[in-house]
Amino acid sequence: MLKFQRTKLVDIVNNGDNTITVHGILDDHIYHIEIDLVIGCDNLSIQAIQGKWLRSENTECRRAIPFIERAVGIKIDEEGFSQRINKYVGRKSCPHFANLIIECCDAAEDAIQVMGYEAARVENPGLRFEGFSSAGKSAAPPQKSSNRPVSLPVEQREAGVKGTPLQRDERGYYVDLHMHSYPASQCSTANIDDLIVEAKTIGLDAVCLTDHNHVWSLNDVEDLKQKHGFQVFRGNEITTDQGDMLVFGMYQDVKGIINLGDLRELVEAAGGFMIAAHPFRGFLVFNTSQIGMTVEKAMQRPVFQQVDAMEVLNGKVTRPENDFAAQVAAGMKLPATGGSDAHAISDVGRYVTCFRQRIENGEDLVTALKQGDYKPKMYHKFRQQGEHDAG
Amino acid sequence: MSNLLCYARNRSTSVEQIDEGTVISTCRLQDTLTDAEVTIRVRLPELEIAEASGTFQRYGPKSCSQAANALKKIAGVRIGAGMKKIIRGLLGEITDCDELAVLVEECCHGVILAFTKEMLAQVPKDIALEKEFFANMIKENIRLYNSCAAFAPGSPIVEGIDPP
Repeated sequence: MLKFQRTKLVDIVNNGDNTITVHGILDDHIYHIEIDLVIGCDNLSIQAIQGKWLRSENTECRRAIPFIERAVGIKIDEEGFSQRINKYVGRKSCPHFANLIIECCDAAEDAIQVMGYEAARVENPGLRFEGFSSAGKSAAPPQKSSNRPVSLPVEQREAGVKGTPLQRDERGYYVDLHMHSYPASQCSTANIDDLIVEAKTIGLDAVCLTDHNHVWSLNDVEDLKQKHGFQVFRGNEITTDQGDMLVFGMYQDVKGIINLGDLRELVEAAGGFMIAAHPFRGFLVFNTSQIGMTVEKAMQRPVFQQVDAMEVLNGKVTRPENDFAAQVAAGMKLPATGGSDAHAISDVGRYVTCFRQRIENGEDLVTALKQGDYKPKMYHKFRQQGEHDAG
Repeated sequence: MSNLLCYARNRSTSVEQIDEGTVISTCRLQDTLTDAEVTIRVRLPELEIAEASGTFQRYGPKSCSQAANALKKIAGVRIGAGMKKIIRGLLGEITDCDELAVLVEECCHGVILAFTKEMLAQVPKDIALEKEFFANMIKENIRLYNSCAAFAPGSPIVEGIDPP
């Protein structure tokens, strides 16, 4: 029996005044929405939009309607169009309206191309669409960007440091192992200096920069340490075909999506350390019983055979998802870490990893991670209670 | 003046659970230019794409004519947060055919919505109880806070819920 069905219909009419009217319908088991758009054929921008709900998820969905006007003025052929619609309409209005607008505008680009073809065929009746489109702008193949991992000559190991003996510290050594700064991570809103100032202010001992597929140079990190009088480490959050990995001690600049096994080889060759980041993010959106997920079944996922540790406290996932990760890590006897996954200043230090020893440099950090003598902590909570090292 | 269509599109996604551990999701696109279809077989409970196949018939962008071969690359990808980046990254290594990634994403969204539908079947008809149901859902999954107009500050659903 069919479990779900969604149909999207797009009809386009040439208004004859250099505009087209686009009517879109999205109809599925949960939603029925409709939109009407007017798009200019010359400037390819959205000139007007109207929308309506026929069925929705809840009674407050009607609030979405006024916000769809945020799409007016956006050019449908500009780079990042879908992201803009998802950001300006999807989050403020409704992601399903955004989905339908993107569908309609994609169809509109095709329609304008078809109209151009029909006009050209008046003068050249033998013209075939394939020949027309391959000469036209909109059919030009996009620039292919290689997604293969690229290795750049970045330092393999922290220069000038040896594995200095770790000194035991009674309080513990609090490191936010997972944070993102702008512009190194485009999804972050936090300036690097502000992140470090905040970490220092709230009493952390160190932060680790883990921008997405971005390698901080050793010199830049040293400059930040000197500037702020604060310990700063560098890591990298690398997207693999099996999800995101926090990598430490391996400083190759990996671009695109890398195979997890290939990344594992790079990390091992560099003597680094790899942590499965937010391993169950979004996994528990439905009841686990709906999809039959159990801790035992999760432990069998091949991805966890390839990592050195698991992030079980991540500031961007739900408590049940963190709890579930903790159970899986415990079941597999994998070390567990915590990090805020900060993308904004207010996120810094939400979760941290508490080491037993002071950590002097990047090489020490990898050594300490491999020793496994640390715990993930809910730092903010403990800070508010005035006890940093409870638990 | 007649209002003949200069272009029409129909994209349909259907999801079927064929056994306890397998869901099949198919997205078919038919429009003035293109006729294409992608099917993914999803393994439960991991929500991982076990297998994907597809065809491009009729005219599509040239880059799409052989693109379906790239689909084997997405086997093993988990449906969930971050999947779009992974799917586009993996397919982008082999093909410039954007439509292929769109078809895969629609299949994946269909799977997510199929399970969401089951959860929404529990929403009470009474408006006050409905509000409570969604408020609890947001409390349990605070990422939903301010993720759309219905869950934004000012909506009765999020009254009394602290922003993340």
